[in-house]
Amino acid sequence: MTGTRPAEPILHVDMDAFYAAVEARDDPRLRRRPVVVGGTGGRGVVASASYAARRFGITSAMPMAQALRRCPSAVVVEPRFDAYRAVSADLHDIFRSVTPLVEPLALDEAFLDVGGSVRLLGAPVDIAVDLRARIAAELGLPASVGVASNKFLAKLCSRKAKPDGLLHLPADRAEAFLAGLSVGELWGVGQQTGQRLADVGVRTVADVRAIDVAALTRLVGAAAAHKLHALARGRDDRCVDAAVDAKGLSAEQTFSTDLVRADEVRDTLLALCDRVARRLRAAGVRARTLTIKVRDRDFTTRTRARTVAVATNETPVIQAVVDELLPTAWSPPTPVRLLGVGASQLIPADAGVQLDMFASPRWQDVERVADRVRDQFGDAAMTRGVLLGRDRPVNRASSHDDLSSAPDG
Amino acid sequence: MKFRAERTEFAEAATWVLRTVGARATLPALSGVRMEVAGDRLLLGSTDLEISSTLSIPVQAHRDGVALVPGRLLGDVVRSLPNAAVSADADADRLHLECGNARFDLRLMPLEDFPSLAAASDDATPAVMKADEFAARVAQVARAASTDDARPVLTGVYVEATADELVLAATDSYRLAVLTLGWQQDVEGTVLLPRRALDEARRSAEQLGSEVRIAFEDSQVGFDFGDRQLVTRLIEGSFPPFRQLIPSGYERRLEVDRADLIEVVRRVSVVGDANTTATPVTLHLSADTVRVTAGSGEIGEAEESLPGVLEGDDLQIAFNPRYLTDGLDATGTQQVALEFRDDLKPAVIRPTDETDDSETPVDFLYLLMPVRL
Repeated sequence: MTGTRPAEPILHVDMDAFYAAVEARDDPRLRRRPVVVGGTGGRGVVASASYAARRFGITSAMPMAQALRRCPSAVVVEPRFDAYRAVSADLHDIFRSVTPLVEPLALDEAFLDVGGSVRLLGAPVDIAVDLRARIAAELGLPASVGVASNKFLAKLCSRKAKPDGLLHLPADRAEAFLAGLSVGELWGVGQQTGQRLADVGVRTVADVRAIDVAALTRLVGAAAAHKLHALARGRDDRCVDAAVDAKGLSAEQTFSTDLVRADEVRDTLLALCDRVARRLRAAGVRARTLTIKVRDRDFTTRTRARTVAVATNETPVIQAVVDELLPTAWSPPTPVRLLGVGASQLIPADAGVQLDMFASPRWQDVERVADRVRDQFGDAAMTRGVLLGRDRPVNRASSHDDLSSAPDG
Repeated sequence: MKFRAERTEFAEAATWVLRTVGARATLPALSGVRMEVAGDRLLLGSTDLEISSTLSIPVQAHRDGVALVPGRLLGDVVRSLPNAAVSADADADRLHLECGNARFDLRLMPLEDFPSLAAASDDATPAVMKADEFAARVAQVARAASTDDARPVLTGVYVEATADELVLAATDSYRLAVLTLGWQQDVEGTVLLPRRALDEARRSAEQLGSEVRIAFEDSQVGFDFGDRQLVTRLIEGSFPPFRQLIPSGYERRLEVDRADLIEVVRRVSVVGDANTTATPVTLHLSADTVRVTAGSGEIGEAEESLPGVLEGDDLQIAFNPRYLTDGLDATGTQQVALEFRDDLKPAVIRPTDETDDSETPVDFLYLLMPVRL
């Protein structure tokens, strides 16, 4: 697929007070209270502080004793890094579901380049809105997102958006936006550099822009000068550096009202199988391993996988495997919050197709024609009989396709 | 229940019934082994609801009785027993085992949850086969059955028994093995047996030797090895009409040394992607040579040639290497014939000579769907 690259394709997603937010999510008694996550021992430091705690002046890396002097009523929680890592894995799964170009910066922070996803998922700002909604719905946590034309500006935006916000900076307004910022907000400007600039009266980004590179170089050295010069003009040509492992692709759906009925679950899975199969075909690949993912109301997530003898990209085959996996991952009437179908161990579709003595070649033709119709007229143009009336489910909190290796990006 | 048994015999018996212990969490009782002392014999039994196994061994019986013992634990215990006679004594909720100076006290499981074990009915006249012949025939066919539960019918082996013929067939939809064996038996029946049950019966036949008596009934099939029995439920549903899949003729026919071709295919397919056994090997057939190639520019390539006599035009055709070697392996004879129409139609592997050492007439074929490149 080709498309015009949007002007602001970079997202910076940063969770708000990540550890503290996870603790508050898991223990409702902590909500809205000043929560400090960190070591309680003599030399313990604050690893994360809730926004309520920050109002008392508590910041990350502050000695715990000092934090408690500032806010004696703060609730101190021992960090549970295993829990944070588990949430982080889910979070990065969500990131990779919108684009394969994810550059993780921390457990709770990443850059995303969604330039290749707009055809399927909408404008970057829409993707950002959806991401925040999904993180809230699926993980129960607040996130802030910056949407901009490059990494530097996106990160600046997410910082300005905090807490629990979204800031979209159109490319043509970047310079105006930067002008009023203090020099210290430019990436890589530490205290020393900041002081040296302040000594000569350079305090805002607009001030930096007013002096030329040669003068800057004398002040802070050549490397920093060139960087400052570019950043002050909102220029940053670093690309999102994804450690891409083309693992597979998937489709998931989160429900605003939990599903409990087996037929609803099955029908939803069929629609997801159809989407995955179609995207495998669009990408020109077949999958050997198929995965089903079921998340309960209480966020318990079960995934079950099966590797088939012959790689496939056909809906009925994927559906048969998923049908068989379902009872191992779910039994009614456990309320289901999210369903997903994934395909991995991809091989090129033209690597050779094992012929099946019972397969009707007509089925493959049917799918190929259906793909073409839907490519041309949209998903609603053609559906399976069983899915009629369900293509626009009212009960759909969010739904997305994971593009982590599909070359249609 | 109280008895004294010879250690090796007891351990071997317990290990044998453990093969059909159930693993389902939904019915914990299935994970148990039923032990019963009656007369001067110890009867052991287990079932996973599909296959049941029962056997008896002679013991010094002191008191009759029944108990359900946790299967895995029993297995672990018997494997570790010292070399001495085993004494067992079960009360209401414990099994006390003594062997040499070792003492085990195993908690029993509630017997009332354990299903009654299937047994072959006495009415059915069984077919009788030599154990090694039975094992060899099953091995030829069962490997073509599917291991994928998505299509349950294909996980079965089709068995059609008449007074003068036994037909076995299995397919996973990519290959089909069909074996016809002449015999003289007073049986009749068409059943679909779980591949796993036949594999268990084959292993028992290989291990025990002697004879297998096969009893065909409406809802089950029993394999009797003398003092031990396997009874399997049948797979429901109808096996695909496989006979119509077998081509009635061919346009090309290759004769080749079976072991040589297997070796070449195995060697060349090494360059296939280890993760996807589906990386095909291609046979390039010409009048007197078979050239086998595999691989791709991305991973690496390999090729090797061997002599073979082709009747018909040159052909290039690709297969999943494992399906191909499975078929060659199963065919058994020194020379094999591969019959082809074209590169997208099924190929058929057949034995060409009678070096097969059985005294009964056997007809075997292995149909193999190609890979479209």
